[in-house]
Amino acid sequence: MKRLSLGRIGLGTLTGLVFVILYGPIFVPIISSFFTVKYGQVDWGNANLDAYALLINNDGILTALENTLLVGVSAVVLALILGCFLAMFYRFSQSPGRGFVQFIIFLPFLMPPIITGLALLIFFDDINFDRSLVTVIIGHTVFVLALVYRTILVRLQALGMNMIEASYDLGASGWQTFRLIILPNLKSALTGAAILAFALSFDETMITILVTGTDNTLPIRLWAMMRLGFTPDINALVAIILAFTTVLVLVAARQLIPKEFTAREA
Amino acid sequence: MKTRIAGLPREVNQIGRTPWPLTVLAYGLPTVFILIPLVSFLTYSFFWVKGTELHDSFQDLTFLNYVRIFTDQIYLPVLWRTTLLCLEVAVLTVFFGYPVAYFLASLQGRKKYVFLMLLLVPLLMSYVIKIYAIRSILGGNGFLNRFLMATGIIQEPLTLFVFNLNAVLLALTALLIPFAVLPIFLSLEKLPRNLLEASADLGASELQTFLRVVLPMSLPGVIAAASFVFVLAIGDFLTPQMVGGNSGFTFGRIVYSQFGTAYNWPFGSALSVLLCAVVIVAVVVGSRFGNKRGLA
Amino acid sequence: MTSRRLLLELKSVAKSFGATRVLDNVDLAVEDGEFITILGPSGSGKTTVLRMIGGFISPSAGEILLDGKDISELPINRRPFNTVFQDYALFPHMTVAGNVGYGLQIRGRPKAEIRKRVADALNLVHLAQFAERYPAQLSGGQRQRVALARAIICQPRLILLDEPLAALDVELRKQMQLFLKSIQREIKTTFLFVTHDQEEAIAMADRICVMNDGRIQQIGSPLDVYYRPQTEFVARFFGDNNLISGQLSATTGDARVINTGFGGLVCAIDGQPDVAAAAAGGNAYAVIRPESIQLGISSLDLDECENKVEATITAVEFSGATTLVRTMPQGSETELRVKLPSRADGTALPVGARVALGWRRIDSRLVPV
Repeated sequence: MKRLSLGRIGLGTLTGLVFVILYGPIFVPIISSFFTVKYGQVDWGNANLDAYALLINNDGILTALENTLLVGVSAVVLALILGCFLAMFYRFSQSPGRGFVQFIIFLPFLMPPIITGLALLIFFDDINFDRSLVTVIIGHTVFVLALVYRTILVRLQALGMNMIEASYDLGASGWQTFRLIILPNLKSALTGAAILAFALSFDETMITILVTGTDNTLPIRLWAMMRLGFTPDINALVAIILAFTTVLVLVAARQLIPKEFTAREA
Repeated sequence: MKTRIAGLPREVNQIGRTPWPLTVLAYGLPTVFILIPLVSFLTYSFFWVKGTELHDSFQDLTFLNYVRIFTDQIYLPVLWRTTLLCLEVAVLTVFFGYPVAYFLASLQGRKKYVFLMLLLVPLLMSYVIKIYAIRSILGGNGFLNRFLMATGIIQEPLTLFVFNLNAVLLALTALLIPFAVLPIFLSLEKLPRNLLEASADLGASELQTFLRVVLPMSLPGVIAAASFVFVLAIGDFLTPQMVGGNSGFTFGRIVYSQFGTAYNWPFGSALSVLLCAVVIVAVVVGSRFGNKRGLA
Repeated sequence: MTSRRLLLELKSVAKSFGATRVLDNVDLAVEDGEFITILGPSGSGKTTVLRMIGGFISPSAGEILLDGKDISELPINRRPFNTVFQDYALFPHMTVAGNVGYGLQIRGRPKAEIRKRVADALNLVHLAQFAERYPAQLSGGQRQRVALARAIICQPRLILLDEPLAALDVELRKQMQLFLKSIQREIKTTFLFVTHDQEEAIAMADRICVMNDGRIQQIGSPLDVYYRPQTEFVARFFGDNNLISGQLSATTGDARVINTGFGGLVCAIDGQPDVAAAAAGGNAYAVIRPESIQLGISSLDLDECENKVEATITAVEFSGATTLVRTMPQGSETELRVKLPSRADGTALPVGARVALGWRRIDSRLVPV
């Protein structure tokens, strides 16, 4: 189907246009991180790393970045453990209500994040639990749980019962079967899900704004700076984040893409 | 293949007896952290606020908030306008997204997934930065205006896209296109290749095959994409805040302000419940439409 | 035939899935050290019996006794049996050595002991050089042998084999049949083998348990079930058989006469007290194997045959080692098929020729209708 027809050229052009629309807003700060921009004019002759130098010295931003990473890692670890547990429960227990549990798990992902954020806000207020990084972590975990759960469940269902029966047949207990047979076969699903979940958490703004306490995560900090206008070091930060995210996505893709494609190239 | 007795369930009762603490945990955790907040959220909408006093004990349950929503002239019109806006966003994103999805689906091998990944990377960039950049692009001194002036289309910078609903429309569309591409791409991928071959074999050109086979069968994916974008757009309160200015007021902003400056949490909950209702209706309508034909 | 100890007993075992009765009144005694095959068509319940013994399914009624103790409630991992699954169920993320050693690893045996026993097991199945390979790199036959080694190594009291040869091609199947039989003789473990292939069962088993529709039809040695069927189903299940309907008549010691379309036939009924006790005049089938019928020009040629019939040849079909001769006996409308060893110079039997057929009383049996 790869004929170079008029239609194909048109499609390709349109796709290119869309990519410009998508990447445009990102490249503006990136270009600004290497060149000075005054009143909308780019000074192409003056390439420098001043913005990056500024960034390293900006403690506020760096702390916020730290917090974001902390929240991301914590939420991902929690989501992995919970997601694994709940997926195993759905797959193997005969419990009649498990469809309902699955529905609840999917809710925060299907509804607008504002709803999830507000619901948690009210909940924390009700039980007099102070808002802090912990509440942010809980919010993020709830948000990414659906994705992690589904990724693991799909892989579990593909495993089939035979191997598990064989493990029991050879004398293994439930825990041994999980540790020695199921877990090793889940590796790729777990890694892929973890990376995607981390990426989602890193950028999550709406829920964070609603349930955050006094500690700043990066999106909060940026949001606050919005009013005042951005300092040049933010541009440097954007460039770094773009590089980091691209790498993350490519690594995740490696884990989750069907092996046929990577093998063919080998 | 295993010769299994047709139609009989595969019993594994000797393996799957879950110990009760685990069952409690499996039901308990999602209930506590997801279901209960949502329920308390719902009940909150029946409380009320007078001045700075919050009346939230059980005797205080009332429909006050809902009455206010329906009688006060502001809220329903804004909800209506927001719904329309988000429908426009959904249509626009699908309009742009479908060709991209089609193009991606027609690529061979590795390239397909590389492009898909490149499409998804901007999604994971900082939300705030993206909106800020869009605002500056749309602004008086921004890239868009300078481009239009440079090519001679306009003489004066346009304020058409600054700090109003149009800006919100454009910003949301630009942000949400990837979310439209993904479901359409997946449904195009699931299309059995031999259907296309059959169509060609029967004499149809590529355009005819597209119009008569591909398009109808990818409709569920299109509906899914539109619903997805609609839900994301309608709940977004950051974008309108940043690029909407004073005339670009969406329902999401109103909800958010109840938890910020207006400080009327119960009323905000009631507004959110209404928002949820709209979302549920949209999703249900969408899935009904989508399941009628084509691949499920 | 050496008398063996009783290892496992299924007593009045029944199983229903919802409203569907899958097993009914199953009584089976498995002897220690034997190679017993459960044979039957799809849906006969044979796999259900195997899975029930293994512990994957629990009985709706009845008992499963091991050494006299009921083990129906014992979970899979506590039963001293190991299973060779139909699709082998090898662990893809472990090497062959890892797979085979899994059972010992679970039991916490020291690494050195595991290494040695794995090597021994792999030697037994001739796969020693594949120890570090992964299942994905092996052929079907090799995977099957790994599954076998994995089951053998834990020295279970019973090895359950769930149609393990079904996925292999014909040539490989025949090799594996001999191989499995020789292994079983060598390690002297009891094998319970499930299959739908009657030739396979006859080739391998010490005893065959024939099942149909959730019930046991007959249990016996291959010769027993082949030459001395006790039900109509068993009579028809193995190879080609002649079934002639008629009414039961007089009983004389170990034989009974049945009145058929071509006269009274004397049939041996040893080992069939139910048939001996059945009322005269009742309906039954006389069962005669085509290869047991002798063919001659006149009845005088068939001295030793108690049963003699005159017939006309209707067709002669050469099919390699044997030739099938279809005949229509005089005065009857039921075909009688005769199987003769083929001859290079052809069988001088023209269609339409009148011949005499005969067989001894032990060559014809009776089964109830």
